[in-house]
Amino acid sequence: MSGYDRRMFLRGALATGIAGSVAGVAAGKAVAETSTTPEAGAPPIPPFHGPHQAGILAPARRRTIVAAFDVMADGRDDLADLLQTLTDRARALTSGGIPEQVGITAPSSDSGILGPDIPGGDLMLTVGVGASLFDDRYGLASRKPSRLTRMPTFPNDDLDPAWCHGDLSLQLEADDDDTLLHALRDIAKHTRGGMQVRWRMNGFSNPPRPTGTQRNLLGFKDGIANPDATKAAEMDRRVWASGKAPEPAWTAGGSYLVVRLIRMLVEFWDRVGLDEQEKMFGRAKDTGAPLDGAHEQDAPQYQNDPEGLVIPLDSHIRRANPRTPQTDDSRILRRGFNYDRGMDSVGNLDVGLIFTCYQQDLQRQFEATQKRLADEPLVDYISPFGGGYFFALPGVQDSSRSFAGFVKV
Amino acid sequence: MGSIKASTANRVTNLFLPFSGPPKGRSVHVRRVSTVIASSLLFVAGCSNSGVKAAPAQPAADPSIQISTSHCGEGWAHPAAGSQTLSITNTGTTTADADVIGVPGGAVYGELEGVAPGVTRSLPITLGQGTYAIRCQPEDGALIVGPSVRVAGSAKSGPAAVPVTYNDLYGPTREYQDYVAGGVKTLLARTKTLVAAVDRKDLRAAKKAWLPAHLAYEKLGAAYDTFGDFGDAIDGLPQGLPKGVHDPDFAGFHRVEYGLWHGESAASLRSPADRLLKDVKGLKADLPNEDMEPGDLPLRAHEIMENTLQFELTEKADQGSGTSLATASANLDGTRQAVEVLRPLLKSRYTGLPQMDADLDRVQKLLDAQKHGDSWTSVAGLGTSDRESIDGAVGDLLERLAPIASICYPRRTS
Repeated sequence: MSGYDRRMFLRGALATGIAGSVAGVAAGKAVAETSTTPEAGAPPIPPFHGPHQAGILAPARRRTIVAAFDVMADGRDDLADLLQTLTDRARALTSGGIPEQVGITAPSSDSGILGPDIPGGDLMLTVGVGASLFDDRYGLASRKPSRLTRMPTFPNDDLDPAWCHGDLSLQLEADDDDTLLHALRDIAKHTRGGMQVRWRMNGFSNPPRPTGTQRNLLGFKDGIANPDATKAAEMDRRVWASGKAPEPAWTAGGSYLVVRLIRMLVEFWDRVGLDEQEKMFGRAKDTGAPLDGAHEQDAPQYQNDPEGLVIPLDSHIRRANPRTPQTDDSRILRRGFNYDRGMDSVGNLDVGLIFTCYQQDLQRQFEATQKRLADEPLVDYISPFGGGYFFALPGVQDSSRSFAGFVKV
Repeated sequence: MGSIKASTANRVTNLFLPFSGPPKGRSVHVRRVSTVIASSLLFVAGCSNSGVKAAPAQPAADPSIQISTSHCGEGWAHPAAGSQTLSITNTGTTTADADVIGVPGGAVYGELEGVAPGVTRSLPITLGQGTYAIRCQPEDGALIVGPSVRVAGSAKSGPAAVPVTYNDLYGPTREYQDYVAGGVKTLLARTKTLVAAVDRKDLRAAKKAWLPAHLAYEKLGAAYDTFGDFGDAIDGLPQGLPKGVHDPDFAGFHRVEYGLWHGESAASLRSPADRLLKDVKGLKADLPNEDMEPGDLPLRAHEIMENTLQFELTEKADQGSGTSLATASANLDGTRQAVEVLRPLLKSRYTGLPQMDADLDRVQKLLDAQKHGDSWTSVAGLGTSDRESIDGAVGDLLERLAPIASICYPRRTS
């Protein structure tokens, strides 16, 4: 069709949203220098451009939206346009600035909920792709990250198809809900014709109570034994895809993402004795210390407890991370958030965990861990109902590149 | 007003002026507050400040540009390129609008409406290299163009459009009215077929005749009180009625639909069917007396499909027939008509027109795929992928229809 430039997404004069103009860039720069620190001790959000997406290693913010999209782009060029638009919006939303003025030619380009000058440096955003994006629709089968599959159903799962999988994943993180909602609203406005939200969950992280690792909604500190995200060698070994065969080269710097939406049956849990709860986790509820230790960072000494008299053999921490040389390479980088979505039909709280973790190899890491956890005593109190496997794309290195790189290769 | 939400509009504009009868039934077609004629239609009452003595002009924030009959555009001392916020102060004695226009040509780059005397407001704007002027429009006086200013620099200006005037809209409005008049004839003929089937107690035939008649109405592009109380009477929904589908005020096509698809007897359906016919006849008889408000036509461009997304693609309007996608398709026809009559005005003003056309075709294709002979897939019967495709395409279309209302908002140029 002549005159139709194939761009199905709102761009250019119509609604580029936040100005990519000189002024917009200047505003972004100014903000970056004086980035608002959300909370004492919370480090500033890393810039959007970089070898990796910022939201993988940077400390979690207080709020998140995790969403999966189904892509309806019409062919590969439209898919590339969609990912370019997503990049443009991500860049604009993370750097902030004054939204584009459209005069009398259109309704306002921005929703205005963050005021007339969008604060920069308040948002983190992580984009991933699901295995289904590499089906026959876009001819990308040969470019599929080699370890990316559709999330299988695990023995203790109760998956709802409406809450599973998706062609794209998007995680937004910020310290305030309005920042997240502004971003999602903006992204949706610019991409309606190309993708639709398949499922979406809002989440929050808890402050330390009283110190150390955040507690989950079962009251236990969760994520204590995470690998150290500040050690590059460790991350290279556990988190980042190498881009070496059998992986397609473009995957270098990306990471496999597992999302699991896990309902917690907190009323039932609250009716379980403390001793039994602690044995299920293998940690003390108050301090987070392993049951054979005193502090949360103490390493459990399983070799001194071969029969599991102190830390039961089927406890969560012992199954998840047996701390043996054979299981060391299955460790994952967890990045969980809690969710609260109201009540269920019998009057119980519908709350739980948005479990997310990053790794280099889904089978070697998450699935190996998940297999060890099958039928652990804790499964009676939790119910995984959704989520999916995704590949978090490599970072966008600079303003000349985009998330569409792997489509255009 | 027959709407779910109480409208706070003090200047509600109906496409056709509503007849004055007691509100009957309730319509979900909530007419949004229209400000179209706020300043442009000559001296509409309302929040007019004319006659209010001007407060002494405040010392203008640096730099503040004046709008008034005697000092229009004065104070624009340092015109600069780029994204910026102009400060505009009404130093006159009456409420006035201010435009930043390109010289020559008069394309509007930014506008402020209804700046009261003594008030300073900010106007965010992006200016590139070129010549500009402030155009002042005192509410009760002639339009004044201030001194031209030159902006140097390499920045690209924001988008602009030459205003559309009331005069420009009269032709398209007449065309649209002709379309509606033709459509109402079809509506009446098909409603008669439906009602005749009910009268002779042939409910199978009535079910068959219901959809064509209803679609004839939906094709008219009625949205947001377009037909005033006739809209409620002919196409009202049970939402908002105290007794819902059993409420005596539930009337029109959806009332008949409810009966036909819920096993109501022909005898019992006769009254609502006759009432529907009476209201359709009433609408037809009333049309020649009603003048469409030209400023409403550009709103129609996206409002029709806004309703489709809100009430049809959610299946909220469905009363059992499962024909929401057929309605969506008819609504798309009505939208196309509104766009077509405005197209001559849009061609030189709206750069997104080709994409909008592509979106219209895309939605059409997706809806057509759900038509199987005389029957349609229900929304509930759509697979996830089809549902997402339709919702996404309609959503994208709406984003591209919305600028039409902004661009074709009637403005004064002289």
